[in-house]
This record gives sequence, C-alpha cells and structure tokens, in this order.
Amino acid sequence: MSIQINDLTVTFKNKVTAIDHANLEIPSGIFGLLGENGAGKTTLMRVLTTILAPTSGTVMLDGIQYHEKNYAKIQKRIGYLPQEIDLYPNLTVQECLEYLGDLAGIPKPLCKERIQYYLEKTSLTEHRRKKMRQLSGGMKRRVGLIQALLSEPAFLIIDEPTTGLDPEERIRIRNLLVDFSENRTVLFSTHVVEDLAATCNQLAVMKKGHFLYAGSVQELLDHADGCVWDCMVKDPAEARSLEQKYRVSSKQYAEGGIQMRILSRLKPKIPCRPAHVTLEDAYIYLTNE
Amino acid sequence: MRKEIKIALPLSKIIYALFFIVIMSLICGISVSYEIGSKLEPAMAILAAAFCADTYVQEVTSRRSEIERLYPMKKRICSVGTRLLIQELFLLLLAAAGYGLFLLFQKPILLSVLPTGNGDEITQFFVCLAAVAVTLCFWGILSNTLACLFRSLWFGFGGCLLLWLITNSTFGDRHLGSWNIFSYTFRDAENSGDFSWLAGKGVCIVFCIAACAILPKLLKRRG
Repeated sequence: MSIQINDLTVTFKNKVTAIDHANLEIPSGIFGLLGENGAGKTTLMRVLTTILAPTSGTVMLDGIQYHEKNYAKIQKRIGYLPQEIDLYPNLTVQECLEYLGDLAGIPKPLCKERIQYYLEKTSLTEHRRKKMRQLSGGMKRRVGLIQALLSEPAFLIIDEPTTGLDPEERIRIRNLLVDFSENRTVLFSTHVVEDLAATCNQLAVMKKGHFLYAGSVQELLDHADGCVWDCMVKDPAEARSLEQKYRVSSKQYAEGGIQMRILSRLKPKIPCRPAHVTLEDAYIYLTNE
Repeated sequence: MRKEIKIALPLSKIIYALFFIVIMSLICGISVSYEIGSKLEPAMAILAAAFCADTYVQEVTSRRSEIERLYPMKKRICSVGTRLLIQELFLLLLAAAGYGLFLLFQKPILLSVLPTGNGDEITQFFVCLAAVAVTLCFWGILSNTLACLFRSLWFGFGGCLLLWLITNSTFGDRHLGSWNIFSYTFRDAENSGDFSWLAGKGVCIVFCIAACAILPKLLKRRG
C-alpha cells in the first residue's frame, strides 16, 4: 500500500492556500507527519480521507486516483482518527464501538471479536461498560483509535493520537500502532517529536503548506549533525544575549550555570562542544534554516 | 435500535419536551374539546422542529461526521432515518398524552354534550392524532433538512420558526386556505364532516417524500 501525492494544492474559499504544490510518496509502515500549527497537516489528512477535495493536483492510493467516482473504493481502505472527536456521550464504550462498527458495515460477530481484542490492547476492557462521557480525555482518545482500527484498514490516518495521554498510555498507543503497521500504511501526525522518534523510520516535515523534508529519520538527523552545540553560561544576561544571536532548542538551570543547546551551522563564538542530535533538534534546525 | 434510542432521545430532550407539553396544556385555554387539535398542532410543530434539528447535525458538531464519511451511505441514511422515526414516535406519544392533559386540565365541553353534527370524541382524537403525526413528520424532517443544508442546528430551527410564524397566522390562513400546512388548525372545527384540511396535509407528505429523497445527496455534499 503506497500513496502518491503529486503537485497537490488546496485553496479554501477565503483564498487561503493550505497546501501549495506539494509532492510526497508515503510508503508502507508508519510514516510521520511533523509541522507547526497551521502547516497544513490536518488539511492534507482531510484530503487523504476524501473529506476535502483538492483544488489541483493528484493523489493516488495503490494506483486508484482520488476522484469522486473512486471515493467508495478508497473509503473502504481507510481508517481515520481526527484531531478532535466527541463520540456518543450517552453510549457505553462497548455500545459506541459496536454502533460505529455496524455503521462501517463490519459483520457483528467479527466486530465484537475485534472490539474485545483492541479493548485489551488499549487497556480499556475494564472500562467498556462506562459511558463515553465518564471517560478521561486519554481514554476517549483510545476509543477513537479503536474505532479507526475496527475495520482493519490498509491505510490508517491518525491526527495527533497521543494528545492528552499520559506517558504510559502514549507508549501503549505507539506500540499498538507499530504492531498494526505491519503490511499496512499508517500516517501519523503529531506535535510530539518524541512519538515519531520512537515509531517512525520515515517522516515528512511541513511548513506553510510545503514539504520541507521527506525521507528517513536518520537522514534528517544527519542533516543537523555538527550543527547542535551544548554550552554552559554563567548568568541570565549572557543566556539572553545568546538567545538573540542563535536558535536555542533547550535551556536548563544546572549547578554550574545555565546549560544551553544551540543550533547553528557554524560553531558559536563561546566555549561549547558538539552535541548528540535528537529528532527535536533536527526538526527545529530544519524549520529555522 | 437501543443505541439509536439512546442517541436520539437523551434525557435532557425528554425532560424539556415533557415540560413543554404540560405547560402548553395548562396555559392554552379551550372551551370545547374540538379546539384541542387547533392548540396541539402548532405547539407540536414547533416542538418537533426544535427536537429534530440536531438529528444529523450533532454528527457534524461533534466531528463524528468526519469518520462517518468513510462509512457506506446506505448505513448512514438508515441511521438518520431510524433516529427521525424514534423521535417522531416519541413526539406522537407525547401528543396523545398532551390531548389527555388538555382534557384533564382545561375540562372542556365534550362533544357528547353538544348538539349532534360534531362526531364522537374517540374519532376526533384519532383524526387529531393522524393530523399531528403528519405535522410532526413535516416539521421534524424540515428542521433536519435545513440543519443539514446549513450544517447548523440554529439554521434548522430558525428556518422552521420563520415558516411557522408565516403559516400559523391569519396571513397563512387567508392566503393558503386549505393548502396551508396548518390546515387542520384552521379547519372548521364545528363541522366534523369537513375534510378540506387534508389538502394541507397532502402538501406536508409530498414535502416529506421529497426531503427524504434528497437526504443522501445532502449528506454527501454537506455531510
């Protein structure tokens, strides 16, 4: 299962261009989508789920072109978890999933089997009789993810699935997605760089409707290699002056002063040493290049 | 079906509908029992418009419509239809209860006490219920259709309110006559043999059929 996006443009009625002549190929496995707020990630996902029609350009899913006449074929292969969704507050978790499974056309016995499996996988089995309105934000998010997985789609699109989850829940969801991505394509959008670092080999970085980068995580890290520096400054005034000169990706009070991480192609003119590049550093470096 | 009932009839809706009908039967004065239909029909119409406006549009506001777009249209239509049916049946039962409450609270003169020519009480009740059933369908479907069209509950209810004010008025009665959607309200109540109001109900039924036919297209375009 692969997705090809060629020269895609999405312009809204108010003339705002959310995606501007973008090209991308999404291979099998987990593919990360990273970008600041308003970069166009959600718009891209809405195009891929057929909610939004592109203004121009083409999108192909396994050789099927995104066109109204093919939407039914495409929709059968997609599972989607939007950024915000409020599932039926008066239904219990079990009822809600059964209802959505029925709407999706999944045979009842199979649907029940899958619900049980995914409830266990997401540690929601003991909460299955709770009403949706009684769940915490993280639990609701997990139920949302189950509904996207229920039809076992070949192409899973998930918009910020780990929002509102505690660290343990995040790890659980990440592992579930990794398991699910075998022989499938999972497009995973997030602001949490850590989640992508832990799950994806491939990713794309969006900014203002363009793809700044598309490729492997390692290549992105290599791109920033030698451009990340750790230094220690004594007083806050010196730290402020550095912040004005350079892009600082982290700042922390330590015993000997203030520990700072600077992103710069050239070595800063202060005592510093090259640092190990994290995905977050590489992302910040790329978006501010 | 049980899940659809839970979705279509949350407790808050049931409570406000019950309050509405109790208050209506308490404050609307009538002297003869054949006036109940004239009071009940417009009241149930506006209640149906408010009650059914969010039948589908709740999926849009909760963003559930974004995942439902991936589901087969037949299933989605079936779900909206079932919800409408549940709500209409609930409102019809409420209308029947409201008829009883009018009799209880207002203690009107019954037909059996009046001189002949006004029919019997039971027939009048069922005729009233049939007219109200068509009215409920019309206003419920209209508000749901408008809400789907404008993707807003308030447009659904607001549009209905505007039409309600126009048709449930002297203007509506004079200019639309028996073709008025409130033809039963404005019928010659003293003449039980007058069924010219059926024309107005016919208009309602035609509209309901047309609205149901365009619903799939509406969900596809605006859903």
